[in-house]
Amino acid sequence: MSQDSEGRDPLPIWFFVGVILAVYGVLVIAGNFMTSRPTILAETRPGLWWGSLMVVAGGIFTAIGVVSHRKG
Amino acid sequence: MATIELAVLDWAIIVLYFVAIIGIGLYLRKFTKTGDDFFMGGRKNSSWVAGLAFLSANLGALEILGWTGGTMKYGMFVSHFYWLGAIPAMLFLGLYMMPFYYSSKIHSVPGYLKLRFDERTRLLNAITFAVMTLLMSGINLYLMALVFKVLLGWDWHLSMWVSAAAIGCYITLGGLMSAIFTEIVQFFLIWAGLFLVSILGVMEFGGIANVMQGLPPTMTSLWATTGDASSNAMGVTWLGLVMGLGFVLSFGYWTTDFLVVQRAFSSKDLRSARLTPITASFFKMALPFIVVVAGMVAFKLVMDPASGFKLPPDPSDPSKLWNDAALPLLIVRYYPVGLVGLGITALLAGFMAGQAGNVSAFNTVWTYDIYKAVINKKATDEHLVWMGRMTTIVGVLLSVATAYLAMQFNTIMDYIQAIFSWVNAPLFATMLLGMFWKRTTSAGAFWGLLAGMIASFAIFMGFRFNAIGPELAQVLTFSPAPSDMTRNLWQASWAWVVCFGVTILISLFTTPKSDAELEGLVKGLTTKVEEGKVGLLGRPGFWAAVALIVVIALNAYFW
Repeated sequence: MSQDSEGRDPLPIWFFVGVILAVYGVLVIAGNFMTSRPTILAETRPGLWWGSLMVVAGGIFTAIGVVSHRKG
Repeated sequence: MATIELAVLDWAIIVLYFVAIIGIGLYLRKFTKTGDDFFMGGRKNSSWVAGLAFLSANLGALEILGWTGGTMKYGMFVSHFYWLGAIPAMLFLGLYMMPFYYSSKIHSVPGYLKLRFDERTRLLNAITFAVMTLLMSGINLYLMALVFKVLLGWDWHLSMWVSAAAIGCYITLGGLMSAIFTEIVQFFLIWAGLFLVSILGVMEFGGIANVMQGLPPTMTSLWATTGDASSNAMGVTWLGLVMGLGFVLSFGYWTTDFLVVQRAFSSKDLRSARLTPITASFFKMALPFIVVVAGMVAFKLVMDPASGFKLPPDPSDPSKLWNDAALPLLIVRYYPVGLVGLGITALLAGFMAGQAGNVSAFNTVWTYDIYKAVINKKATDEHLVWMGRMTTIVGVLLSVATAYLAMQFNTIMDYIQAIFSWVNAPLFATMLLGMFWKRTTSAGAFWGLLAGMIASFAIFMGFRFNAIGPELAQVLTFSPAPSDMTRNLWQASWAWVVCFGVTILISLFTTPKSDAELEGLVKGLTTKVEEGKVGLLGRPGFWAAVALIVVIALNAYFW
C-alpha cells in the first residue's frame, strides 16, 4: 500500500483483529452477567471463559500490530 | 418455527461489526492511490496475511452452514472436501504454479492466459469468470437473506441491501486491501463465534468418543465404504472422489480461480506468494473440527427425541428437514446473550466476505482483462482505479439483481451451482498444459477450453432434462442412476478430459510460440526458484511436506 499524505504506512491487520477480538470479548463477558434464556451447559459459564480467552487473544494481536507498526 | 430472539447486547455486537468494517474501509482509503494498491493490495503482504485471506475468500458462511448440515447426511465424508478436495491442490499451486503466476507480474489469471496464449483465450476466460463471480455473489446474497429471514425474522430486502451497501462501501474505498482485511477479521470471527459450538457439543456428550459412538460406519469413516457407490450416503466410489473431487474440481478451483489466487498476488515477494496457499492449507485442514464435529453433534441430538433438538422444514422443500439450520440452532442451544450475537455476526461476516471476495475479483478482471484489453487500451493508472471503483458499485448492484432473480426463479440456483464445473474444470487443463508443455499452442488452448466448457454444459443439460438414459449414465458416471454429487464430479472430470484432449490434438497441428516468447511462463523456460539463502523453516517445500504428512495422517486415522 502507498503511504498516506503524511508519509505513514497503514496499521497492520493484526491491530484491527486484536481490537475487534478484545472488544467483543469484553461484550461476551458482560453478557455472562445479564439475564439470559436458559441454555444447555449454562452452569459452565461459557461466556465468561470464552470471552476472557478472546480478550487475551485480542490483547496479544493488538500488541503484535503495534510493535510491528513501530518497527515499520 | 419461532425465530431466534436477539437481546440488545447481541444487536450491539452485530452493529459494531458494520461500524468496524466500514471504519477499516475509510481508514484504508487514504493509502489506496495506485492501481497496485486498489487491485493488488499494494503487493506488500506477508504469507500470513495473504494466506489467511486466501483461505477466507473461500470460507463463506454458505459453506459452513451447508457442510455442517451435509455432515448429518454424509457423515465424515464431508472432510474429503477439506482434505482430499483442497490440500493437494493448494500445495501444488504453491510449489509448482505460483512461480509462473507471480513472476509474470500479472494482475489476474486471465492476464496469464494473454501472455501464454493470446487475447481471445484471455477474453473467453475473463467474460466467463466475470459472469460466474457476479452470479456467485448474488446467490450468496440471496441465501444470506433466506437464512436470516427464516431464523431471525429479518426483512429480505433490508438484509440484502444493508449488507450489499456495506460491501460496496468498503471495497470502493480500499479495494482489495479492504477485502483482505475484512476477510481476515471474518476468519477470526468464525473461529471465535463458531468453534465454541463444537466444544460445547462435545462437552454435552462427555467427549468426542461419545459423540461418535453409535453412529453408522458410513458416517465415521473416510475411505472404508468407498469400494462400492451404494455403500455410502454420498453414492460415490473412491475413483469418483479422487478423479472428480481430488483432481479436477479441487485443482480446477484452487489453482485457477482468480477469487482465491488474487490473494497470493498481493504478497510482497515470490517466496511469500508460494507460501500463501501452503500456509492456508493448515487452517483448511482444521475446519472439519468446526463443521464436521458440529454436524455430528446435531445428528446425535436429532436422533434423541429427549434432547429437544428439532430441525425446521426446508424452506425450498417443506417435506424435508432443513439440515442447514443445524448450526444456528446449536448456537441457540448453547449460547447465552452476547455469544449469540457473536455467532450470528460470524455467520454474517462469512456471508459478506464471500460477496466481497467475488466483487473484488470481478472489478479486477473487468478493469484489466475486459475494459483495458478491449475498450480503452490507453487508460491511465488513475483512470483504472476510478474504473475499479465504479465497477465495484455496478458489481454490487448486479449481485443484488441476481439475488432478486434467484428469489423469483428458484431453478436458477441449480445452474449457478453447476457453473464451477463449466468454468474452472476445463481451465485447469488449459493451465496445466500451458505451464508444463511448451508445445501447447494458442489455438489449442482456445478451442480446447471452449470444447471443455461446452462438454460440461451439455452433460449438465443432458441430466437436467433427462436426455441421458441409464446406459449413457453408466458410461459417463459408472452408475446407471448417479446422485447429484456423482453427476457433478464426473461432469467436471469429462470437461477436463475433453479440454485436455482437444488442446493436445489441435496443438499438434498448429504452430507454437517461440521459446523466447514463453520465457518465464512455462516450465523449462523459467529460471529455477532459489531457496538456498533461507533456512529450512522459511522454505515452501518444507512446509508443503509437513502439510502433506499431516493430511495423510488424518486420512489414515479416520480411514
